[in-house]
Amino acid sequence: MNPLRFTRRNLLRGGLAATAAIPLLNARHAIGDNVSPTRFVVFTTPNGTRNSLFWPTGTEKSFTLNQITKPLEAYKSKLTFLKGIKLNDSLQNGALGGTLGSEHARGTGGMLTARPLNAGKDFVSFGNTTSGWGSGQSLDQYLATKLAPPTKFKSLQLGVHVRDTEVRARISYTASNQPVPPREDPKDVFTTLFGGMTTTTPGGMTDPALARLWAQRKSVFDLSNGETQRLMKLVGAEDRAKLDAHLTAMRDIEQRLVGTPGTSGGTGTGTTCSPPTLAAADLGVDDQYLQAGKNQMDLAAAALACDQTRILTFQWSYSESEHLFQFLKVNNNAISGNHHAISHDFASSGTNFLAYNAIQTWYAEQVAYFLGKLDSYQEGDRTLLDNTVVLWATEIGESTQHDLTMMPYVLAGSAGGAISTGRYLDFSSARKDNNQLLVSIAHAMGAADLNSFGDPSGATGPLSVLTA
Amino acid sequence: MGIPGIGQPLPSAETCAKSQDVERTPLRRLTRTEYTNSVRDLLNVDVSATADIPADEVTNGFDNNAAVLTVSSLHAEKYVLVSETLAKLAVKNLSTLTAGCDTAAKGEDACALAFAKSFGRRAFRRPTTAEDERQLLAAYSAGRTGGSYAEGIEVMLRAALQSSNFLYRLELTPATDAAAKRIPLNQFELASRLSYLAWGSGPDDALLDAAAKGELGTKDQVAAKARQLLAAPKARAAIGGFFEQWTSTRRLSITTKNSAQFPAYTTELRDAMAKELPAFVNDVLWNGDGQLSTLLTSPVAFVSGPLAQVYGVQAPASADGSPVKVSLPANQQRAGLLTQAGFLSVQGHPDQTSPVLRGKFVRAMLLCQPPPPPPADVDISLPTVDEGATARLRFAAHESAGASCAGCHKLMDPIGLTFEHYDAIGQYREKDNGQALDVSGEILATSDASLSGAFNGPAELAAKLASSQQVRACVATQWFRFASGRTEGGNDACSLATLQQAFDAANGDIIDLIVATTQTDAFWYRPQVTP
Repeated sequence: MNPLRFTRRNLLRGGLAATAAIPLLNARHAIGDNVSPTRFVVFTTPNGTRNSLFWPTGTEKSFTLNQITKPLEAYKSKLTFLKGIKLNDSLQNGALGGTLGSEHARGTGGMLTARPLNAGKDFVSFGNTTSGWGSGQSLDQYLATKLAPPTKFKSLQLGVHVRDTEVRARISYTASNQPVPPREDPKDVFTTLFGGMTTTTPGGMTDPALARLWAQRKSVFDLSNGETQRLMKLVGAEDRAKLDAHLTAMRDIEQRLVGTPGTSGGTGTGTTCSPPTLAAADLGVDDQYLQAGKNQMDLAAAALACDQTRILTFQWSYSESEHLFQFLKVNNNAISGNHHAISHDFASSGTNFLAYNAIQTWYAEQVAYFLGKLDSYQEGDRTLLDNTVVLWATEIGESTQHDLTMMPYVLAGSAGGAISTGRYLDFSSARKDNNQLLVSIAHAMGAADLNSFGDPSGATGPLSVLTA
Repeated sequence: MGIPGIGQPLPSAETCAKSQDVERTPLRRLTRTEYTNSVRDLLNVDVSATADIPADEVTNGFDNNAAVLTVSSLHAEKYVLVSETLAKLAVKNLSTLTAGCDTAAKGEDACALAFAKSFGRRAFRRPTTAEDERQLLAAYSAGRTGGSYAEGIEVMLRAALQSSNFLYRLELTPATDAAAKRIPLNQFELASRLSYLAWGSGPDDALLDAAAKGELGTKDQVAAKARQLLAAPKARAAIGGFFEQWTSTRRLSITTKNSAQFPAYTTELRDAMAKELPAFVNDVLWNGDGQLSTLLTSPVAFVSGPLAQVYGVQAPASADGSPVKVSLPANQQRAGLLTQAGFLSVQGHPDQTSPVLRGKFVRAMLLCQPPPPPPADVDISLPTVDEGATARLRFAAHESAGASCAGCHKLMDPIGLTFEHYDAIGQYREKDNGQALDVSGEILATSDASLSGAFNGPAELAAKLASSQQVRACVATQWFRFASGRTEGGNDACSLATLQQAFDAANGDIIDLIVATTQTDAFWYRPQVTP
């Protein structure tokens, strides 16, 4: 397999060439030498977990990792296990309309919104429960708007073999009925993130042809936005919200597509920040999941290290995933079943029991790889991982039960010291609503005035124990 | 519960004659398919760059539900970059693009204005306003200043393709009566509805001319125009697209199979499967009797590449690689689209067949009676059975698990199990795990009483479905969702009645169904909404 190489010539030749040049400084250079930015990453893997093999044993500060999370051993002191987080009542069975959509769909749409799916006949979930799409803004999008980081991407959504485009495949929402799709092609991500590097001449001057393209783009943006604003006066409230989202999207992309002619493109002097080398991976082949994922994880880590974004979602497959794992072996035989079917095998031994454990452990290895990448970037006294809060999440809890009352959530990193890590917190005797976890993450990210997030059926305020 | 015509009575003709109620369609952003077709017709260039636009979210099986068609940052970025690629290609053929306007004789400004008017009309699907022309010329100036005439036109094209007037199907005609509950669409808006209905693309000059001349003023005129558009070759992919989405065979491109169990399932086979359904539909619609019953019962296949082997038939390869029509062996009991390899592959799992998904398709998409959800307290673990059992034995666990599972699964399983002669990629098999297959089944709890009862095998099931009034009413309803880009609402009852009754009266003729869409209130009106 030939590694993909992105030469200057290739990038300029393509239709995707010529996004604006943003200096490729590492993050500390980008915002001053003394303070590193804090970042938020949501890292999702599908199909729940098996509680008995997932949660650590021991006490809050002295615990042993269990079988499924063993691959995270090296980062144990930087983890926070959160046992006993439940999705709020609006997302639970039988309460407050919580039966809208299957548990897989609800747990996906409610993961970062803490809101139920919209009512309606628009969508028939696997279990034939009907619902609409997510009903509110997700935390990543809230933070992107609220904190408005001065980065090329206010937020970035990446996926690996997500493929699906239904409710179960969207975790990020700008607003009700406005899901944000992830980017799934590493080549596209690479070009989008690092294409700007090629827009300057060796002398560091903006390529005149690009300066011209940017000026033209600016004119077209202004015309397009002016027309959209005019149309907004002619339509009803719901359509106006849709056009307003369009305007917001245009503002979001303007800085990186229009550039700032006259300023130097910069040369990227940051020693720790450089584009990764990708290897080819056929996105349609399940067996190449690992390489496709590595490409995206390397790009995600580079995007954070280069301060191209501070808010990132990273999705493996879709919830209720039927991805195949023939590349993993159990008792010397390739796993033949699909992940979702295997996840419903409730036996406590046998082929599918072992297969499910192997798949869950494989996903934990990917979490470990990603954490290792982040931890490899030094930022002063800390690492990029320390300056990040990663939420590792999945759409349901105990997989055989479609449980939504004990979500297998783990945090990694301390968001620059805001979160006290190396702990196993057990709320299972007094469950906490996911709203509170989202508020806590917002606080760690610097949105200190947020007191409640999501559906009002959930508790307000942060989980103060996280910072204790 | 239920929908009008299925589990709910249709409103009377008297009620509908008086009704002024219509449902609101949210602002419709072009789907990726509509965008692609539109720029193909506008620019006549290679439009493969539109593959960079994100795939549309799927709602109720269809990718054109307006509620969720929004412009995310990713969409906005791709609209910018794709428009640049397309505009660059288009101006390579400047003279054709600008209809030979001679800048030496007429002057560049005059030619640019003429192009703004002619191109703007087609891109925005209505005559341009002075404001439109001012904007398009401003974009032209951004390219022409310091650049060539061609560059000016190129930037104008980018601006047109990034305009909300192009990206959304706008219907903005103001009400003439402030008290009216509904507003009739103007003829340009009707022209757009017609062209996206029949072609999945914008109106051409001829259709816009017809609107300008007032030739879309009556229901008869619009019906005749619909038939005319449907006869054009570009209608075939668009109508085929409905069937691909309705059956989920559009998902073939993201459907994977276990490579050890199904080594035959290669990219080539998947592509051949994907080509079969539209070829079949087009054959029935344009060379055959055009009836739904034929789509559900015809024992033929359209094979290309490795698909012949899946069906176990010999087929001559066509010169251009397009699918070739073949009859299927009677012993396979194949019957129409429900036994096509592509359908059976997507209505299945990567590693095994899914009688549940196959049965659920029949209930949800052919009967419009999706089973209720599993009860909240049910243990959703799969039944554990001995290796080597047939699916029927394994699924017997749904019965033995007690009423909570059996209540719904008896609606799906006895239908889905009749397809067990076809494996997870649709290959015929005499036995499963070495055991003989029992493919008898039963349809329960239908709204059309004649549909209920026992059957033996897929051909008998298909025959029952093909003669059912409920199935026709359901397919008309599915088509309505696709055609109107939304799920039906309470104010659609009269439109659904028009559509279902026309389809039934036409004995399930698909073209008549499509044309009947243009006779509904939902097609002619939108509700008055205060801005």
